Amino acid sequence: MRRVYLDHSATTPVDPRVVEAMLPYLTEIYGNASSVHHFGQEARAAVDRARHEVAALIGARPNETVFLSGGTEANNLAIRGIAEAAEQHGRHIITSQIEHSAVRGVCDALEKRGWEVTRLPVYDDGIVRVEDVIEALRDDTVLVTVMLANNEIGTIQPVAEIGRLVRERRAAGHRHLWLHTDAVQAAGRIPVGVEALGCDLLSLSAHKLYAPKGVGALYVRRGVRLVTQNVGGHQERERRAGTESVASIVAFGVAAELARTELDARAEHVRRLRDRFERGVAQSIEDVVFNGDAARRLPHLSNISFRYIEGEGLLINLDLQGIAVSTGSACSSGSLEPSPVIRALGRNDELARGSIRFSFGKDNTEEDVDYMLEVLPRAVENLRRLSPLYQRAQAERAACETQPVVAGN
Amino acid sequence: MPYSETFKDHLAHPRHVGELPEADVVAEETNPVCGDRLRLSLCLKGELISAARFLAYGCAPTLACGSVLTEMLEGMTRDEAAHITRADLTRALGGLPARKGHAAALAIETLRAALVEIDKQRS
Ligand SMILES: Cc1ncc(COP(=O)(O)O)c(C=O)c1O
Repeated sequence: MRRVYLDHSATTPVDPRVVEAMLPYLTEIYGNASSVHHFGQEARAAVDRARHEVAALIGARPNETVFLSGGTEANNLAIRGIAEAAEQHGRHIITSQIEHSAVRGVCDALEKRGWEVTRLPVYDDGIVRVEDVIEALRDDTVLVTVMLANNEIGTIQPVAEIGRLVRERRAAGHRHLWLHTDAVQAAGRIPVGVEALGCDLLSLSAHKLYAPKGVGALYVRRGVRLVTQNVGGHQERERRAGTESVASIVAFGVAAELARTELDARAEHVRRLRDRFERGVAQSIEDVVFNGDAARRLPHLSNISFRYIEGEGLLINLDLQGIAVSTGSACSSGSLEPSPVIRALGRNDELARGSIRFSFGKDNTEEDVDYMLEVLPRAVENLRRLSPLYQRAQAERAACETQPVVAGN
Repeated sequence: MPYSETFKDHLAHPRHVGELPEADVVAEETNPVCGDRLRLSLCLKGELISAARFLAYGCAPTLACGSVLTEMLEGMTRDEAAHITRADLTRALGGLPARKGHAAALAIETLRAALVEIDKQRS
């Protein structure tokens, strides 16, 4: 069966060039990067090289980059680290309603421990407004954490504008105010520069850019003090204890270098496929809603609600035909959890339940799009055939069409 | 995915989809919490359920339950149908994840509503 992977926002395959670069660090070059002997020094040198590359991807200095286990840990360290370090100056955090669960979860946990959290709305285009940030800022705000690009609908947030605002406030005397952004989905897909963004902390995950799972990085601007969350060792300049996963870090470094040098070509490639896919869907399937601002979003991602049907059934039907996609909603124990992101756009439960994310990657082809456009309309049609909501809508439509049309003035 | 091959087959090729223009009874139930919906139409010939059709909206298990239920019902008597349980549906689908048990519950609820309707018509 033909297999088409359209779930690159969930994870990406490891690039063969990355595999090749990391392999020696699993076999011959196996030293502990903290060891003083030759074996250790080889590993240390490799970690340092990777640190340069990861820093270069985001325009940071190598010593501002902390390696850790991935995006989730980066978000935990950033948010908890700042919250605990700045506690005596205030316990208010500003975030958005569409953060990844790794940010949402940390904010929820802090809220239970007495922090106050303001969750900014995103409107029907899926984008946070800077005016809302201005309105939410208080004297006791210590952290603004807004993702650079959303993982479900791909919308790009005005982090640079928020960064300017935060710098202005800091210059005006609000000294303990920091900006964190989760750039896990954005990195490698659009240009990301910590200076242009004006952020103090930025989260990265390697497995979204063709490197293995279980490794990531947190950018911490020089001078920003964090309370270390993982203690018990001197690694990463006391900011994250634990023996470095050398091979994974090497892989991350090579993947970051490739992402930087191939960024434009990759972005153009996935944008072309995505746009062709969306045009095809618009032409061949009725009653679809494209979610998220059409322009201000990542080039590889498309999120579509198919009215009258639910995402999971469609996902399984596509999977049976070799196509991998994902859906943001989950229904368990009879309690519905429609995607909070789609709900935040103001869509109703039905649209939130019928939303599917298609995320393209550098290795997808035009033929993949062709296959998708052949399979998807049929799968949607088949599910609609058994939907009472669809049957009802069709009956109503037929009734309307048989009504005599009253001419307007 | 935790779903069985049988389950996926029902999802890819749902049996007995639609409505019966000549239906003797039609029942439609919704799960008020999650919005799942199942509509069942039955034709009767004496004691026998001669035809069964379904429409469903909601999670994949709700669709699969509609499909497997109508498959079971055709050819059964009213009294046999009254004995179908959630466990029967779950078993016929090769199992369901525990958190999806509500799908079988909705199917049984819809079936019960249809049977009540049959009894009402008969008395
Ligand atoms: C926006 C965003 N943040 C954080 C994460 C978590 O990263 P990781 O899987 O490396 O823990 C993800 C991954 O799904 C993500 O999309």
